[in-house]
Amino acid sequence: MSTHSPAEDRPELVFTGIGAVASVGGSADEIFSALCAGRSGLAELRSFDRDRYRVRHAYEIDDRPPSGEDEPGRATRWLLAAIEEAVRDAGLGEELAEVPILIGTGLRELRSAELGWRDGADFDAGRLHFGTALRERFGAVRTHTFSNACSASLYALAMGSDLLLSGETDTVVVAGVDTLTESMYGLLDRVHMEPPEQLRPFDRDRRGVLMGEGAAAVVLRRADAATDSGTGTGSAAPVRGRLRSVAVNCDAYHVTAPDPGGIAEAVRAAHREAGVKPEDIDLVMLHGTGTLLNDEAEATAVGEVFGPHVSRPLMTAVKSMTGHTSGGSGLLSLIVALQALEGGRVPPVVGLRQPVPEAEKFRLVRDEQQLAEPALAQVDAFGFGGVNAVAVVERAAL
Amino acid sequence: MSGTSTTGTTGTTGILITGIGTALPGVEGPSDLLRAAGLPRDPAAPAVDPAALIGKRGLRYKDRASQLALCAARAALLDAGLLDGEAAADGALTVPGTSVAVVVSSNLGNLDTVCEVADGIRAEGVTGISPMGLPNASSNVIASSVAIRHGLRGPNLMVCNGATSGVDAVHWGAAMLRAGRAQRALVIGVETHNRQVEWLLGRPAGELLDGAVALLLERAPAAAGRGAAGIAALGPYAREAGVEECVRRLLTASGGRPGSWYVPEGHRDASPAALSGVARTDLTERFGSASGALGVLQCATAARGLALPPAGEPGTALVTSGTDRDDASAGMVLLAVEASA
Repeated sequence: MSTHSPAEDRPELVFTGIGAVASVGGSADEIFSALCAGRSGLAELRSFDRDRYRVRHAYEIDDRPPSGEDEPGRATRWLLAAIEEAVRDAGLGEELAEVPILIGTGLRELRSAELGWRDGADFDAGRLHFGTALRERFGAVRTHTFSNACSASLYALAMGSDLLLSGETDTVVVAGVDTLTESMYGLLDRVHMEPPEQLRPFDRDRRGVLMGEGAAAVVLRRADAATDSGTGTGSAAPVRGRLRSVAVNCDAYHVTAPDPGGIAEAVRAAHREAGVKPEDIDLVMLHGTGTLLNDEAEATAVGEVFGPHVSRPLMTAVKSMTGHTSGGSGLLSLIVALQALEGGRVPPVVGLRQPVPEAEKFRLVRDEQQLAEPALAQVDAFGFGGVNAVAVVERAAL
Repeated sequence: MSGTSTTGTTGTTGILITGIGTALPGVEGPSDLLRAAGLPRDPAAPAVDPAALIGKRGLRYKDRASQLALCAARAALLDAGLLDGEAAADGALTVPGTSVAVVVSSNLGNLDTVCEVADGIRAEGVTGISPMGLPNASSNVIASSVAIRHGLRGPNLMVCNGATSGVDAVHWGAAMLRAGRAQRALVIGVETHNRQVEWLLGRPAGELLDGAVALLLERAPAAAGRGAAGIAALGPYAREAGVEECVRRLLTASGGRPGSWYVPEGHRDASPAALSGVARTDLTERFGSASGALGVLQCATAARGLALPPAGEPGTALVTSGTDRDDASAGMVLLAVEASA
């Protein structure tokens, strides 16, 4: 990463479309409104047989059949919906044969594999990744499914931005998606000391992470292509924001525990590649999973990088309302960042009573949305195996 | 759309394969790949024994796919001359850990953990399952395990992209290097078989690969800087709707017929006509259906072939994975080092 090309003389990359689905809303706008209103998707566990778990809560999308039985293919459904919304927003049309589509996911369609293996639900190997569905729906063949834990969608964004910067293409769709799997939900349950009833990022009394469901998608283009639209319609879609950098690395430290050193290095690299300093950042979308170790590590790393400027940027953590949407969470945070830059309001962290000592100096948005005019935002996403990804995005020129 | 006419192919120069590692049944090492590839399938070949190859330390709680990947990874790092001393437990890296990315391709690697945990919860509830399964529930455990073992702190990417996944992983490794995200990328393809894999694929274990292959990709200046020779160089890549389209695009991009063609599974006798007369190799006939490992296995074998003394054949090989029944077909052209110079 140290060799990654510096910010100067790089082509400008712009977001021209966004789309999302989550427990709190069925579109990017619905989600942003809900988050700004402090409305959470938290509910009692619906997917699985509650009696078999100690943890009884999650942030699920409530779209199962009326019987309440789980069904295969839900992640794929949300992914397609988020991409449809994003390409519509970008005015691209739905024929995407020439457009690379990069998907970041933690758990692919492994929930469907569980249902197939254990309950005999209809499922085949060609649907474990998303290329098959993307080909059917959009005629897309330059499709790539990356399974990179909870930083997957920002990793996908990094790969997508490289394609654009290399000049290989002028438009990419990047998306992220995840559903609850029984194996991941159960194993996380198994390692909690006490079952959490709510995901409470950076709170001293947090008990751990709760899973959420959702998908997020963006259309990212080279600005030189976006201005002439490239759609053949002659009408350029409005720019929703600019991508200044995405840095990725790996702690090479532990299969589940984070390393503040690796996280700090990813944040520094994102700043360096964007050509910005910590004091330039107006808003930080924290990863904030509510896990004992993760929040501590992230707060330590952010505190270290921002140093004397740590109280300057507004900070928030949307997982307090969406739950941990795993591989899709980084891109969902990024979309919320674009909306905050555009709309001048920042959603709060809900359920935060007393911040952890490491975050005491953070200017966390609490309880209610905050009106502000941020121009530059940092978006964090970190995953199992120490895979870190940090993006810097900027408000579109007014 | 300006620029998209070349979307599917990437003209590449300056990315070399400087190391190959294998953990394959009946294959002694990379220098044995070509010989083994020419033999019929050997059902009696003993399964790879990770503990015998790299010692028991650190293998407990690792799933089979991660163990196999660790074996191939170490072998490739050694072959590339990036580990200091074979005698040391893992050997010390001779280059900065931040300069090395890891890209792993596997579609089925952690399917067993996922299904077994779901079974365990149904049978005994969540208190009956072992918390040690947690890392393996995340599909990227293979890539992070390799990074942790060798201190590889560059980008770390897990590609689970179906039939083309292995070729795609080689492409993404190269893309990271071209973007300047790292100087080297360790690209691994790995699959294994077990009850869950047999169920999902509807095929018996005897038809499936249980093994791993690794390539060390390196930017040419980085290789030159440490005096490392290239085994082969990477050429253009494409991912298209079918085999025909993929081959056509790569032939156009590389400007000629290859000396050999590593075909998608079961595709030895099928078209395209453009490649009639070119020697075809279907590595799944020898190694079994290899899913996400196939593309990496093909690149490794093709690279070894290109490194042989020239026999009058063009110094290029074409590698393709994914048939017309899959969501796409992806391919890459490999070049002999002389031809690419």
